[in-house]
Amino acid sequence: MSKALPNYGSSRPVSRPLEGALDRLFDSRNVWSVTVAATALYLLFFVGYPILYNVIMSFQEVSVSNVGRLDRPWVGFANYQRLIGDPLFPLVVKNTIVFVSLSVILQCACGLALALFFQQRFPGSGALRGVILAGWILPPLVVGAIWKWLLASDNGVFNYALQSIGLISGPVYWLSDPSSSLLAVTLANVWFGVPFNMILLAAGLSGIPREIYEAAMIDGAGPFRRFTAMTLPMLRPTLYALVALSTIYTMRSFDVIWTMTHGGPIDSSNVFPIWSYKLSFDIFDFAGGAAASTMMLIVVFFVALIYVRSVRAEARA
Amino acid sequence: MSTMDAEPYGPRHYALAAAGLLIAGLYLFPVYWMYASSLKASFELNATKPTLLPQAPTFAAYAWIFVRENVGRYMTNSVIIASAVTALTLLLATGAAYSLSRFRTLWMDAVLVGIMVSQVLPPALLATPMFVIFKQLSLVNTQIAVILATATKTLPFAVIMLRTTFAQIPTELEEAARVDGCNRVSAFLRVSLPLARAGYVVVGTLVFLQAYGEFVYPVSLVNRNELQPATVGLYGFVGADYSDWGNAMAFASVIVTPVVLIFVALQRRIISGLTAGALK
Repeated sequence: MSKALPNYGSSRPVSRPLEGALDRLFDSRNVWSVTVAATALYLLFFVGYPILYNVIMSFQEVSVSNVGRLDRPWVGFANYQRLIGDPLFPLVVKNTIVFVSLSVILQCACGLALALFFQQRFPGSGALRGVILAGWILPPLVVGAIWKWLLASDNGVFNYALQSIGLISGPVYWLSDPSSSLLAVTLANVWFGVPFNMILLAAGLSGIPREIYEAAMIDGAGPFRRFTAMTLPMLRPTLYALVALSTIYTMRSFDVIWTMTHGGPIDSSNVFPIWSYKLSFDIFDFAGGAAASTMMLIVVFFVALIYVRSVRAEARA
Repeated sequence: MSTMDAEPYGPRHYALAAAGLLIAGLYLFPVYWMYASSLKASFELNATKPTLLPQAPTFAAYAWIFVRENVGRYMTNSVIIASAVTALTLLLATGAAYSLSRFRTLWMDAVLVGIMVSQVLPPALLATPMFVIFKQLSLVNTQIAVILATATKTLPFAVIMLRTTFAQIPTELEEAARVDGCNRVSAFLRVSLPLARAGYVVVGTLVFLQAYGEFVYPVSLVNRNELQPATVGLYGFVGADYSDWGNAMAFASVIVTPVVLIFVALQRRIISGLTAGALK
């Protein structure tokens, strides 16, 4: 037989040393550590460093002229004291609590109601539930613009609908009346967040074995009892993760409010991210903006820890 | 009741389907209203009694925003920025997501928690220091600054989602490839990466849509109109006291239509990918 034997891969390292070295390199874990390090470094530089910078800035005196340099006069907690003493502070805290808690509760409740409804067997149930997700995928700024038009006091369709069914007698100035603006932006934000809650709760619901419902029905448990004694407890891990996640998303929501009301009128819909941004970019009080965002960062960080813990707990289960 | 799965649909099911259709219709009414308003002439928009269907549909608002508001340029910028963010994000996320799904060590865990936490930071919070950093890098007023900043938002999301995708691919397949003479990298490239295709479609789409809808970073890092994406263009249009809602909704429709088309094409994959990625 003059023909050479087929050349199997195992002979390569011997005949070509460079390729062998590359092969060993690509076979070690180090190459993967490098990819993790690259991502971690990117985030450290573009997220970690800005946060640190923000915290440092919140303890300094910052003006338009020295905003680009770190060697600024230190003022301790003066920026924080100034913010907490600001008459706006209690209002922004109150607005943030109302906006976040109402949004999270309503999104979760509506999401659960929709998930339960579309879990029933009927033609098109899955497709219709999927179609609703379209709302969540829109750019938040567009959502703000659409709702601003829906809620317009002149010719807005919302006012027209409420008037024609007799709920209100004249147009309501949803966005320009301080007593309703926070409610209006919350409504838009709830609309925006419901599909995400619905989809994740639907996934949680589908994970509950049907057999236990059958057993409960044989034992004579009615729909309400099955819901409170079985569905809710078995959904608990999903609910925890979801509440943490929507709290985080709601706390960072900015675009919808910014488009609809700019935090106004007279700060009636001003929440922490808006306040922080306005301090820095509207009146160039960079230190105040940094202090406001650092305060918020502490809260978000704790919610994030709860989220990470709940996700990890579920992953283990 | 439990044996109903095999039964054909009865009247009760069609009643439920009608209710479901009504719920979905009510929910999506704002999106419909945006399109309907974009086709109405101003006399119809300003009528005291709004019409559900445009009585005299006109594309005048579209003509106006394309000619006068340069919506085409804004859209081009949005697509450029979003594509670059998606490419950068997937490039950086791939190795990290794969490693985090395969190697469990203490510091990998620490990185994962760090990435999860960095996902939650409000862009409005980071805008000022970002501005300073990019000023020092001489990148203020470039789209590169917007791309690098937006990727901080999409990268943690992509790592977490792709990690789930890779975790679902059995390690045995890679081990078999390595027995056949592949090293870790080529086993990954030839076996795992092709199997993760579906996950990449979902994650890539969601990253693209997030970047496409981003507003805070471009508005804070760039002040030249000709570089801005469509979100900033729309904001300049409706941010202040605005009353020309026909043009505004035409602008919004132009922004939203590609999103809707992408969503319709990939709806099933997005839903299954999203539920798997966000909770695991």
